[in-house]
Amino acid sequence: MTADLMVRVRGLRKTFVLHHQNGARLPVLDGVDLDVRRGECVVLHGPSGAGKSTLLRSLYANYRIQQGSVEIRHAGEWVNLADAAPRELLAVRAQTVGYVSQFLRVIPRVPALELVAQPLLGAGVARRDAESRAGALLARMNVPEKLWSLPPATFSGGEQQRVNIARGFISRFPVLLLDEPTAALDAANRAVVADMIDDARREGAAIVGIFHDDEVRGRVATRLHPLAALPEAA
Amino acid sequence: MATASASAPEFSSTHGPLLRVNAVTRLYGERTGCRNVSFDLHQGEVLAIAGESGSGKTTLLNCIAGRSRPTAGTVEYNLRHEGLRDIYRLSEARLRLLARTDWGFVHQNPRDGLRIDVSAGANVGERLMAIGDRHYGRIRDTTGDWMRRVELDTSRIDDAPATFSGGMQQRLQIARNLVTHPRLMFMDEPTASLDVSVQARLLDLLRGLASELGLAAIVVTHDLAVARLLAHRLLIMKSGEVVESGLTDQVLDDPQHPYTQLLVSSVLQA
Ligand SMILES: Nc1ncnc2c1ncn2[C@@H]1O[C@H](COP(=O)(O)OP(=O)(O)OP(=O)(O)O)[C@@H](O)[C@H]1O
Ligand SMILES: Nc1ncnc2c1ncn2[C@@H]1O[C@H](COP(=O)(O)OP(=O)(O)OP(=O)(O)O)[C@@H](O)[C@H]1O
Ligand SMILES: [Mg+2]
Ligand SMILES: [Mg+2]
Repeated sequence: MTADLMVRVRGLRKTFVLHHQNGARLPVLDGVDLDVRRGECVVLHGPSGAGKSTLLRSLYANYRIQQGSVEIRHAGEWVNLADAAPRELLAVRAQTVGYVSQFLRVIPRVPALELVAQPLLGAGVARRDAESRAGALLARMNVPEKLWSLPPATFSGGEQQRVNIARGFISRFPVLLLDEPTAALDAANRAVVADMIDDARREGAAIVGIFHDDEVRGRVATRLHPLAALPEAA
Repeated sequence: MATASASAPEFSSTHGPLLRVNAVTRLYGERTGCRNVSFDLHQGEVLAIAGESGSGKTTLLNCIAGRSRPTAGTVEYNLRHEGLRDIYRLSEARLRLLARTDWGFVHQNPRDGLRIDVSAGANVGERLMAIGDRHYGRIRDTTGDWMRRVELDTSRIDDAPATFSGGMQQRLQIARNLVTHPRLMFMDEPTASLDVSVQARLLDLLRGLASELGLAAIVVTHDLAVARLLAHRLLIMKSGEVVESGLTDQVLDDPQHPYTQLLVSSVLQA
């Protein structure tokens, strides 16, 4: 069973210190423990400000780990994000952990199809294969083909979000982190994304997500992980 | 056309870092240029150095690039067949050869990195001749290839860069540097002198080339959006010292040091 374990969080604490707000201290995570296995979709659950995104970002080493450990099984070995060198973190991101943020970060001049294909191109997949997989994903998510060759800067919020999701799913990462990926989508597209999440999970991905929409959450979650808002520091 | 695989560098050691900067300090008399800076850089990594004017970014870059001897500390480069060697203990001739072949240096002002009165083609071909290529036709073909790769019109190959726009000059400077297939590029504010629209195009080009060629690069910039777009890693400097470093998105999204927090909060969106 432990061979299935992909994410192991122990005693994770996070306090933001705002140096220009009179050094205000904002405790957000207070000793989080979390295990995530292949084939699971763990949904972080709690009120706004409870630290759901903070925890998710910590699993991607986007936020720094101040105390405790976040271990990811990467290429068969446990890597602790708290003390890994920058290049190890980059390798974990390139091969093991994918992160879909709530908003697409547009890169000037790069067309949607290319943006989606990039993770595969970076991993050495031939351009033709990468682009055909990118196209298949964009089609599944109902992004009109006439948009594929355009940079997404001018796309609607929902279109940008679908490009973002396609980019996150194309690599079939063993660990997938999803921060409200369906927030900007209509019901039909929410259902497509929920299907994609289920597919990825059945193929063995370990998924951690945040979903405000009750219906989507009920659909994709195999388990909820509650997070409570912490009282403010004195 | 030159391909990444054809130019894949043979490494003396694929494990060690490409560059090791160890406690580098550069003083100008009483004044501090930079103080006690250390980091490793590996093949294919792009590192940005940001910080306010006068914080020591250019000083540090020049120390690392073999252009200004540190007052203390060492800069080691992973030489083919030899491993890490202190660059300031190489002979001057060897250091110069290294700078002309294995390294590139892109200046903020293209006029500092180009010979403005000789043709665009000669500016690119010159670096090939410097490493001993004497075959005129081949030099001209390679030059044309590189002009195309940086999106310059090859019909301008015989024109002097003085007749080019700033953005074109900057792309020519990049072609001139890349023609010898360097492993490491140094860039000092490569986009600062350009219009915003031209900047985006150049950044996109740099990003594509760096990942295609597996280049390592150190980019000095005061623009955090440039760092976000180009760099895997980011160092923040203040008063000559590195106050914070990490993956670019870590430093920008979860800044720890008061100065970094100030820097990040004072830009609209990076
Ligand atoms: N980089 C940061 N710097 C300072 N404070 C931060 C930072 N990121 C998050 N916080 C603070 O941490 C707390 C938790 O934020 P987080 O975004 O994790 O909440 P959340 O549970 O995802 O909320 P929501 O449901 O509204 O998205 C908030 O008070 C937020 O302001
Ligand atoms: N040749 C020199 N002689 C004396 N002092 C110098 C020299 N070059 C730089 N300095 C000083 O060293 C400090 C760092 O300068 P440097 O040029 O490295 O800053 P920078 O971060 O590149 O700034 P900018 O963003 O304005 O280019 C400054 O105080 C500067 O005045
Ligand atoms: Mg959130
Ligand atoms: Mg400078």
